[in-house]
Amino acid sequence: MGVRITGLGIVSAIGLSVAENLASLREGKSGIGGITLLDAGRELLVGEVKISSNDLKEQLGTGAGNVSRTSLLGLKAAREAWGENEHSEQLRTGIISATSVGGMDRTEHFYKDYLAQSDPDFTLLKTHDSGNTTERIARHLGISGYIDTLSTACSSGANAIMLGARMLLAGKLDRVLVGGSDALTKFTIDGFRSLMIYDDQWCRPFDESRSGLNLGEGAAFLLLENEKSIAFSGNKTIAYVSGWANAADAYHQTASSPEGTGATLAIDHAIKKSGIKKDQITYVNAHGTGTKNNDLSESVALKNIFGEQIPAFSSTKSFTGHTLAAAGAIEAVFSVLAIQNQMIYPNLNYQEPIAETGLVPIISLQTDRPVTAVLSNSFGFGGNNSSLVFTGHI
Amino acid sequence: MAYISAASTISHQPTFKNAGFSALLEVLGESSALINPEYKEYIDAGLLRRMSKILRMSVACAKECIQQAEIEQPGAIIVGTGLGCLLDTEKFLNNSITIEGLLPPTSFIQSTHNTMGGQISLSIGNHGYNMTHTQNTLSFEHALQDAMLLLAEGEENILVGAADEHIEFLSEVAHRLHVYQEKQLTSGASFFVVSNEKTSGSLAKISDAQSWGLVSNVEDATAKFLKDNNVDLKALDLILYAGNLSEFAEIDTEKCIDYTDFSGIYPTASSFALHYAVDSIAQNKPIRNVLIYNALIKNNLGLMLVQSLEA
Repeated sequence: MGVRITGLGIVSAIGLSVAENLASLREGKSGIGGITLLDAGRELLVGEVKISSNDLKEQLGTGAGNVSRTSLLGLKAAREAWGENEHSEQLRTGIISATSVGGMDRTEHFYKDYLAQSDPDFTLLKTHDSGNTTERIARHLGISGYIDTLSTACSSGANAIMLGARMLLAGKLDRVLVGGSDALTKFTIDGFRSLMIYDDQWCRPFDESRSGLNLGEGAAFLLLENEKSIAFSGNKTIAYVSGWANAADAYHQTASSPEGTGATLAIDHAIKKSGIKKDQITYVNAHGTGTKNNDLSESVALKNIFGEQIPAFSSTKSFTGHTLAAAGAIEAVFSVLAIQNQMIYPNLNYQEPIAETGLVPIISLQTDRPVTAVLSNSFGFGGNNSSLVFTGHI
Repeated sequence: MAYISAASTISHQPTFKNAGFSALLEVLGESSALINPEYKEYIDAGLLRRMSKILRMSVACAKECIQQAEIEQPGAIIVGTGLGCLLDTEKFLNNSITIEGLLPPTSFIQSTHNTMGGQISLSIGNHGYNMTHTQNTLSFEHALQDAMLLLAEGEENILVGAADEHIEFLSEVAHRLHVYQEKQLTSGASFFVVSNEKTSGSLAKISDAQSWGLVSNVEDATAKFLKDNNVDLKALDLILYAGNLSEFAEIDTEKCIDYTDFSGIYPTASSFALHYAVDSIAQNKPIRNVLIYNALIKNNLGLMLVQSLEA
């Protein structure tokens, strides 16, 4: 069981391409800093993508019309993943993207003017719905037919990859771009602040002193292809999506269960699906948001599955911030890069283990061991838990 | 192939717990209202107070479906929504822009598109696959395709549905953008239980469901869809459609019904059409083959072929 990954694209706080992201991961350079592009009405730490929407529009040649930042970030990453591939009448090509806010950045702009009754531009709202953000990306890449958007909060990106793999295995598509995109918005910043889980300091995943997340923004896409598509494209296989699972925690609308019920189910089923043994997992790219609740629940789930033999693990949200629906896709790209480059990334800002579980993440770059299988976790609001397994071979 | 063993709809029509409703439908008047069931029969009063319209509708339909299908737990919960939880989104957006300082979190928590799926899983304690699709007018078709994919993978008794809620602001937007002027914008939710097995409780079957985004030729796509399913255009007993059917010269217009006359306009109104088709088949034996043709947005095409159990 396994589906070929042949293309990667990413834009995040630590770089505007795969190469830039890889360099930052290697150097242990976080992209989290003071907010500069978005007017959030306050100072705070975020993982901003260091390019304005206007510059993105110019670079991507999207024309003068309204495009949401979520679409722009998504298009940039999707283009890199798509590369020089050509369309063919013989191949059924689809796109599955994930977003939680869709065009909210443009809607906020509109709504301020609307409330102030200062000539609001209603056409901005055409970019609001989440489906529109994906359709924009599809249109620019010349993809039509199967265009779908998933929105399961912070697990959305992982679910897009899972659905793409299932569509290929079922023979419904020959190749599919899968990923996710979310732009920073005042809506989400205020939302996580209202839940009192936004850290005013740097987020500290898996650290005893952790007190919340820093939001980030970004997008990532992977190109998945079946054999028929490979025969046409000649693309090399970078790695495989080998296992996946989605399970509901059914505990609370926003909080994770202390027993890590949904997370344990997702991890367990994903590893079983991959056909490898759990002791063959070399690295776990954790969800690790830096909130009290998630990191404890996820640690408990890891112990439920792996007992005392916990694989090397880290949360790269200390580099990118929590990019919500894009997180699962961004971390999938990081997982594939870990296999491709034989490296395990450090969990930044960590000092002391969580008292209840005592787990210690990787805190400096590891390049001393073969990385053959990576587990990537994505857990979200609504108790939506998803895990993916990536392998170098099948 | 998916056998439907339960169907439940809350809409502007007397659809809820009312088998045979398809014979009673009347074209919606200008100021029709959502027909709310007694939600307290399905949802705890404390929870109910905090739930927006879309959440109430979804949880009530979901629970009603589970009762109808006589199952303990569905194997998965899949929801489609075009615009998600608009009431809570509008409320939090308003607060975010107008209030300085800390905001109440409830409307943020309930603003995410997967709130329906999450609340359904919470209310019945379900740990299965839980997914939310949001592709504008094709959101329900995508949810249904996911459900049928899961059935092919061996999952059983999948709860699949769709919901969208109307807020006054949408009518203002429609007016300002000069769209959907001729019909009422409405709210609605429809849920179904689908499975691989035909049982004594099966109502009808969905033989196929597909969708096309940025579609270039709806006539070709529809012809291929019917051909792949070995159904001739002339063999269709009923075509429930939204949007424009004028491309099809050979269709007998007497068999065609614009379902938005009855459902009103919302992004996932095709889920209303599916229940309409299922009820028509279950109540009216001569109807065997129904095509649901969703071209509510010109760029998007959704097709569902619904057949009687004998067809």
